[in-house]
Amino acid sequence: MSGQKKKNFQIEAFKHRVMVDPKYAEKTWKILEHAIQEIYNHNASGLSFEELYRNAYNMVLHKFGEKLYSGLVTTMTSHLSDISKSIEAAQGELFLEELNRKWLDHNKALQMIRDILMYMDRTFIPSTNKTPVHELGLNLWRDVVIHSSKTQIRLQDTLLELVHRERNGEVINRGLMRSIIKMLMDLGSSVYQDDFEQHFLEVSANFYGLESQQYIESCDCGDYLKKAERRLNEETERVSHYLDARSLEKITNVVEKEMIENHMHRLVHMENSGLVNMLVNDKYDDLGRKYNLFRRVANGGLLIVRDVMTSYIRDTGKQLVTDPERLKDPVDFVQRLLDLKDKYDKIISLAFNNDKTFQNALNSSFEYFINLNARSPEFISLFVDDKLRKGLKGVSEEDVEVVLDKVMMLFRYLQEKDVFEKYYKQHLAKRLLAGKTVSDDAERSLIVKLKTECGYQFTSKLEGMFTDMKTSQDTMQGFHESLGAELGDSPSLTVQVLTTGSWPTQPSATCNLPAEILGVCEKFRSYYLGTHTGRRLSWQTNMGTADLKAIFGKGQKHELNVSTYQMCVLMLFNNADRLSYKEIEQATEIPASDLKRCLQSLACARVKSVLRKEPIGRDIAEDDAFSVNDKFSSKLYKVRISTVAAQRESEPENQETRQRVEEDRKPQIEAAIVRIMKSRRVLDHNNIVAEVIKQLQSRFLPNPVVIKKRIESLIEREFLERDKNDRKLYRYLA
Amino acid sequence: MKKEDMVKLISAEGFEFVIDKDAAMVSQTIYNMLTSPGSFAETQHGEVTFPEISTTILEKICNGKETEFPIEPELTLELMMAANYLHT
Repeated sequence: MSGQKKKNFQIEAFKHRVMVDPKYAEKTWKILEHAIQEIYNHNASGLSFEELYRNAYNMVLHKFGEKLYSGLVTTMTSHLSDISKSIEAAQGELFLEELNRKWLDHNKALQMIRDILMYMDRTFIPSTNKTPVHELGLNLWRDVVIHSSKTQIRLQDTLLELVHRERNGEVINRGLMRSIIKMLMDLGSSVYQDDFEQHFLEVSANFYGLESQQYIESCDCGDYLKKAERRLNEETERVSHYLDARSLEKITNVVEKEMIENHMHRLVHMENSGLVNMLVNDKYDDLGRKYNLFRRVANGGLLIVRDVMTSYIRDTGKQLVTDPERLKDPVDFVQRLLDLKDKYDKIISLAFNNDKTFQNALNSSFEYFINLNARSPEFISLFVDDKLRKGLKGVSEEDVEVVLDKVMMLFRYLQEKDVFEKYYKQHLAKRLLAGKTVSDDAERSLIVKLKTECGYQFTSKLEGMFTDMKTSQDTMQGFHESLGAELGDSPSLTVQVLTTGSWPTQPSATCNLPAEILGVCEKFRSYYLGTHTGRRLSWQTNMGTADLKAIFGKGQKHELNVSTYQMCVLMLFNNADRLSYKEIEQATEIPASDLKRCLQSLACARVKSVLRKEPIGRDIAEDDAFSVNDKFSSKLYKVRISTVAAQRESEPENQETRQRVEEDRKPQIEAAIVRIMKSRRVLDHNNIVAEVIKQLQSRFLPNPVVIKKRIESLIEREFLERDKNDRKLYRYLA
Repeated sequence: MKKEDMVKLISAEGFEFVIDKDAAMVSQTIYNMLTSPGSFAETQHGEVTFPEISTTILEKICNGKETEFPIEPELTLELMMAANYLHT
């Protein structure tokens, strides 16, 4: 209804007949007052709504709105005072029930009253800025009933007492509780907060403060967390049953603070049951609980968990990689690393929600301790070697991939990837040349992985080795096809032609080959150089193997699988029964250390020595003498005589490899410096160092001192010059 | 139509109009009369008496729920008052 129309009524109102009666207002109000009483007394049945509405309508229309409104306030207030007294009089547990009953009554009455006074609500109240009937009824209920001196504290205490009893395991009337709390919420959020919530939170803080103190003294960490979790669930449930949803965050904050945050350190470090204990014993449930509870604590709850886990992993890892006992078995060493990684991967996935920050912490821990042991790159390569030689035999393709992926993961942690490459090349060479690799596919798969990880450069030489192997096969086929007839019954020869540079070969003195072999070798040489002009072939006699047919004293026939050196030694005994060390050395010209090792494997093996040494002993001395062991026996026809060769590098060898790595790094560092200076032209020392490290860290971690030396060398060779004014500045000389 | 779905509106002169309850409840006042909690006489009997609304006007109001119709100028004021009372 628009204001324009209302105005029209106002103008015409004076015509109305009821205006004549001077007592009209008083009479009409009495009717309404009586009706309100009847409504509160549940006697509304039979009252005419139309009559009451019409009376209220007319009162407002005839400018008695004020009388109607103030009459309503007075009547309702007096009714509520009576109600309040009856509530106050209720004894013990009946108090809440009485309050609830009266509240429901009041609500219903209020709605009826509002309905019959609707015209006042619609017109008089907005124009005079008074409180609408419904709100007025709630305010009066609040002021007269809830805030009556006797009820206010009693209500609060009763509610808190019920919560307390429920926390102690008693069953309470949740329906009644919900109804009363709903009443407080209906009266306005400030009533709910001031008359209940605020006290509820205080009391809860005290309760949980005390309880947590008690628990922490008597429970182990796992039990404590279970209890805390249960309390949190209970409070969440409580809110959903009978509190304002907005209280959820507040009350859970209280529990979190009192039960978790205040005891975080103690919980994490608790002796025999804290975080470390859970990690050691793979207690996924407890760890998951700890994670979920600590995550709730805003101020770094997880940080503590993560830090403690990190430092524990670091300690464990450090112990593992620095334990001298572990250094004895590289394969076991790497397996233990993998086991450790698996263990924590599982914990993070099962208990820590695959939290990225925890994964990062785990990765950085591994990166930290793996690099504490300078031999880690070598050992990882040895582990691969072991797997590719025998460990992966008969394993399905998928499982091979799993193992290789794990190895790659460890590889990623390595700072000195170039050292790994060095060893990998050595080990791969041995595998390829000895034909000992389990699966060509697995070999290639790992190369592909390394390539993806480190780029083409890293693997080009490794790939070159595979190419050489393939080419050699073709060459040998060609050799036998063209010279097959000519070779007759001379020893059969298999040659692998290795490209210098791709293979980890060292220029070594060629030993004297037996004449029979030498002949075939020379034939091969001329065949090969005939098809490949301009090349040079040199024999790597330290790397080959030979199969020898041997007949011993009592006629026992065997085929001996030996190294080239061993062959050279054994062949001497075709023409002599007894040879001294000196004679062997002279005849073969095998380097002393290799010769000793070779003789050791032939003459000093515990069971089946091919040669006999005089005097008997473990070590080879320069004045020893050797003869064929006629009593040699073996169940097998084919006998493999392994060289006494340390799988793992000995200390001096290790030093040597190190040195070669350092040498190889120099040109790489120089190349990086030149690349950087070419694009930047002028740069200061610290920035060059930083850039070089950045460029090379995917392969190794360059030492700043070495970088400085390389810069100096480049200055000497006039690639760079120092700035004349600022000595720290370098210039690129084109 | 069922009896419960209908409501009887009685004019000042005692004329009775039986109309669809939903149509009648377009008036907020009649809506409250028929739905207010407790049991007012109107809710109990399903009828409302309007001692201050004439038959002519009440008829207009009942029809008005259905279609538009011409209103005689002399009735306009009375009709508007009734509309205000009924809060339609």
